[in-house]
Amino acid sequence: MKTVGRLNSPADLEKRQQEIQAKRDPDRPIVAICVSTGCNALGAQKVMEAFKTELEKCNKAGEVEIRQTGCLGFCEVGPRVIIYPGDIYYFKVKPEDVPEVVSKSIIGKQVIERLLYTDLVTGKKIKKLEDVPFYKYQLRLLLEDNAKINPKKIEDYIALGGYSALSKVLFEMKPEQVLEEVKKANLRGRGGGGFPAGRKWETTRNAPGEPKYVLVNCDEGDPGAFMDRALMEGNPHIILEGLIIGAYAIGASEGFIYVREEYPIAVENMATALRHAEEHGLLGSNILGSGFSFRVRIHRGAGAFVSGESSALMSAIEGMVGEPRPKYIHTSVKGLWEKPSCLNNVETWANVPLITRRGADWFRSVGTKGSSGTKIFSLVGKVNNTGLVEVPMGITLRDLVYKIGGGIRGGKKFKAVQTGGPSGGFIPERYLDLPVDFDELTKVGSMMGSGGMIVLDEGTCIVDVTRYYTNFLVHESCGKCIPCREGLRQILNILNRICDGKGKEEDLQTLEDLSELLRETSLCALGTTAANPIITSLTHFREEYEAHIKEKHCPAKVCKALTAYYINPDKCQACLICLRNCPSKAISGEKDTVHVINQEKCIRCGACYEVCTFKAVEKISPPLPPPASYGVKVIRGKK
Amino acid sequence: MKKKQDKQFFVGLRITDEQRSLLSKIQRNAGLSKTEILLKGLEVIGEYYSLGLDRPPLSLELKKLEEEAVHHAETLKHIRRREDALKEIIRELRDIDSIVDKYGGDASALIQILLDIQAKYRWVSKPAMIWISERLGVPMSRIYHTATFYKVLSLKPQGLHMIRVCLGTACHVRGGSKIMETVERILNVKEGETTTDGLFSVEGVNCLGCCALGPVMTIDGEYYGGLKSAAVEKILSNYMKSGEKA
Repeated sequence: MKTVGRLNSPADLEKRQQEIQAKRDPDRPIVAICVSTGCNALGAQKVMEAFKTELEKCNKAGEVEIRQTGCLGFCEVGPRVIIYPGDIYYFKVKPEDVPEVVSKSIIGKQVIERLLYTDLVTGKKIKKLEDVPFYKYQLRLLLEDNAKINPKKIEDYIALGGYSALSKVLFEMKPEQVLEEVKKANLRGRGGGGFPAGRKWETTRNAPGEPKYVLVNCDEGDPGAFMDRALMEGNPHIILEGLIIGAYAIGASEGFIYVREEYPIAVENMATALRHAEEHGLLGSNILGSGFSFRVRIHRGAGAFVSGESSALMSAIEGMVGEPRPKYIHTSVKGLWEKPSCLNNVETWANVPLITRRGADWFRSVGTKGSSGTKIFSLVGKVNNTGLVEVPMGITLRDLVYKIGGGIRGGKKFKAVQTGGPSGGFIPERYLDLPVDFDELTKVGSMMGSGGMIVLDEGTCIVDVTRYYTNFLVHESCGKCIPCREGLRQILNILNRICDGKGKEEDLQTLEDLSELLRETSLCALGTTAANPIITSLTHFREEYEAHIKEKHCPAKVCKALTAYYINPDKCQACLICLRNCPSKAISGEKDTVHVINQEKCIRCGACYEVCTFKAVEKISPPLPPPASYGVKVIRGKK
Repeated sequence: MKKKQDKQFFVGLRITDEQRSLLSKIQRNAGLSKTEILLKGLEVIGEYYSLGLDRPPLSLELKKLEEEAVHHAETLKHIRRREDALKEIIRELRDIDSIVDKYGGDASALIQILLDIQAKYRWVSKPAMIWISERLGVPMSRIYHTATFYKVLSLKPQGLHMIRVCLGTACHVRGGSKIMETVERILNVKEGETTTDGLFSVEGVNCLGCCALGPVMTIDGEYYGGLKSAAVEKILSNYMKSGEKA
């Protein structure tokens, strides 16, 4: 390995950037493979190994660079491989495709049609990434570089102009000017609350007490959200650059990065980034020769949702249990070790270099009046295209779900979008044209949250999902305040009862009362927002609750106690598959004889429903299937 | 001819080859004559059946000796086991020492230290907690508070294979809880438990961060996405086989 020299001035940085670029041959083939969690789960490592062995076999190992990159968002169709030059995007690449890719695309510069993206509607192959519907409507300011950067190489980031914003800030701007710029840009906290970052910075800057701290919150515990992970894994330096700029503006000398232990790749890449930045003189003492010194440490979280709350997170860094404390004085004034501490989310920090590089006015030109810039969402659930999407604020939910998400899976009917995780709410179909920004979502009782966006279809039971969130929060509640500890438990009891078909009519009123109590009296945001899923589901989907209680009927046929499985004798082809897969041996039948489910033995696991190729197994709610008749012979249709 | 006959007979009795070699050994080593051997034999038989002697029967004594020997062997095994356990603990404490040193003995690194121990041993043992308390000067109550608060930390030994079923929202709406039920049913354990053979631990996690592939489970970090409950048994059986080999 070449030893890297310390950069001692902005000129050094510029020179290094030019050196790196000069050394790069634009014609040199590069195979960029996504190795972040999603693609890895689909076998990206094996694909990479295959490329290595295949290139060696063809004696091309020295000529072709294999670059491990971060997430491009479209995890659904991974593992993803890009071939440069030519920008050929291949999806769902398997190790056995590799020899062909090497011989045709890398050596022969041809495109393999088979591996290109297939349009869901037209069935045509799409060559350019910009034409893929999933990407077409996105505005990828933060995630774009993930495809070009090896997160373990600082050179890749510097080559793209990385750390130039830091250099500009340190030598051309006063801390107050940086602060003004961020305030003017109207950058709002991406972690959920949407609090203006500039104002937060200012509070910490003006608060008495030294030293001051800056912190990165990557305790992304919200189930169904993973945008912070993608940034941390794919482009750690952009977060670090933002953090250093923030530290300069605030006057902090020490920083902490709080990452979930459950994100091992993110922890590793961030640690590497810190080391490289220090070696290059971009972090540590006397950064770039400016006289400004700043150190950063990583703190790994150990799996507690509530630790993402600001005061809890700071307690955790102090080595205490990550439980929230009352915040009569904000943490930005008295936080970590009772000192002024500025905590922002990963995505918030990542926006800072963009703002300083391209100006507050440019940033304001993106998004809506109240919410500038872009936001990364994790669009998941029952949509066709799932993954990370970065869109300008103000895009409508309809565009997100139908244009980018490609509509609902299996042609089913849309029911709701859930945003903001356990602290957010359900947004029904009539609000689909709502522009997505901080204020609009709050108006309909939900919130932006960190950006989880879960699409629900007619096959999802709202009561069940609400119960799911409540159950999650019961487990994650730290138990310090009574409303959250006991109130949530009571709510869960009631929801369990409703799902079990034992709900009472007065339950809905009790749910509303308890929700109100939670909102008014909880200690931290975990409790005060815990009622959001309950309140919004009661407002928009009250009829579903009523169906559960009055008719013992689960419209989505999800709640176990209210659903039975039944084999339709007209459709059953007596193929024995369900019979073999039934774990409780509840299905009887033989060749040429219609199969019958014994309802007493059935444990409602749904295995038969999944495996039946003739769609003969049906769900019935209320659970009252027609009487079973045994020994009926199969009538086979001619077609 | 007569000489050979001698070898096959002892005071007129036909004897086997083994008995003959024993006989010659006694004659040679003990220096006893045939008659003396006969008389001694008589005595031993008498003693054995406790006839005409005050001593307890030899059979009983032999049995006692045997019991004692078994007992000692057991104790020795027990001591060895304790020795091994103590060695193990000492090794663990040394490891903990180096982990604590890595963080400069800083009490605010408590969570990081516990995480490192969890990663290495798959659980945090009581001696480990006592030792950390000693080294950091942090009361045991706070260590226990921390170790029980965080989900990642376990106070029980974990199984050889760690099964994590994603119960995040995206997986939930695609049937993650059914996958969990199937795993629980096949292994006959509940979420958060370890099978009695110590082969599997089952854990529900809130989000593995690959929602696009839901429902997902991981076994020892290997991902299984787009799962159907009917496929779970086959996947698990692969690990059961490999577990037996290990």
